[in-house]
Amino acid sequence: MPSTSRRVSRAVLRLETTVAPGRIEEITTDEESKEDRPWLVIVWNDPINLMSYVTWVFQKLFGYSLAKATKLMLEVHNDGRSVVSSGSREKAELDCFRLHAHGLWATITKSD
Amino acid sequence: MAAIEPSGGNIQLKLEAEEAQILRGLATEMKELIEQEATIEDAVIDRLFPSAYADPKDAQAFSELVGDELKSAKLDAIRSVLSVLGEPGGVDMTVPRSEIDGWLTVLTDIRLALGTRFEVTEEKMETELDASDPDASGMALLHWLGWMQEMFISAITEGGDDGSAQAG
Repeated sequence: MPSTSRRVSRAVLRLETTVAPGRIEEITTDEESKEDRPWLVIVWNDPINLMSYVTWVFQKLFGYSLAKATKLMLEVHNDGRSVVSSGSREKAELDCFRLHAHGLWATITKSD
Repeated sequence: MAAIEPSGGNIQLKLEAEEAQILRGLATEMKELIEQEATIEDAVIDRLFPSAYADPKDAQAFSELVGDELKSAKLDAIRSVLSVLGEPGGVDMTVPRSEIDGWLTVLTDIRLALGTRFEVTEEKMETELDASDPDASGMALLHWLGWMQEMFISAITEGGDDGSAQAG
């Protein structure tokens, strides 16, 4: 990953941790877009976080409808995990950071 | 008895002195633990600062990129909660909408810490408390904080004036 792109991301994180997803994509370098393959953000089930809280976090962070957020929450709960967002690596890292800031157990993996 | 009621988009929070003291103590412990994040090996820290990648090199790079930011976000939220809990005694205050998200993340982090310490499973979460279990008081605390969190969430998601509830 180009270091310029990482620096941009860091600056954005400093400014505003609730920045809307997508904003990062506008400022990623061409260099990165070329090598870009979708990166997936996975949330894993945990026995402690409340279902209502997890649903609320998905709505808040990703702007999902209650129906979509509930469906993802139930996937996490019933299947042990769910892909909750995807996109460039920068976007995945920002989303993962925001999920961690809300206490959800999230990881990033490359889609292939 | 604690009471959490929606109040025009904000939350009216009432805590008895003992309840406020418990929350103040837990938040303070949480703050002290997170402040040591970089220097200790601890299961709670691993849960609050999870590894983002299966590949250790990628995980390390991610941690270097956002670790400080994550730590300060968590500490800022705890300090904000501690500042309104204030001095010893009960609490009867309005939590403004702008601070509710911070309260929710602090309650989450405390519950994750307790749950990790007690090695909670879904089965254990659903089991009736047994007073002879050495973890019973800790589990009761976990459920009490969960109740608080549930009330905070219903207050902001339902947005109505009729979601009030009481519990002890």
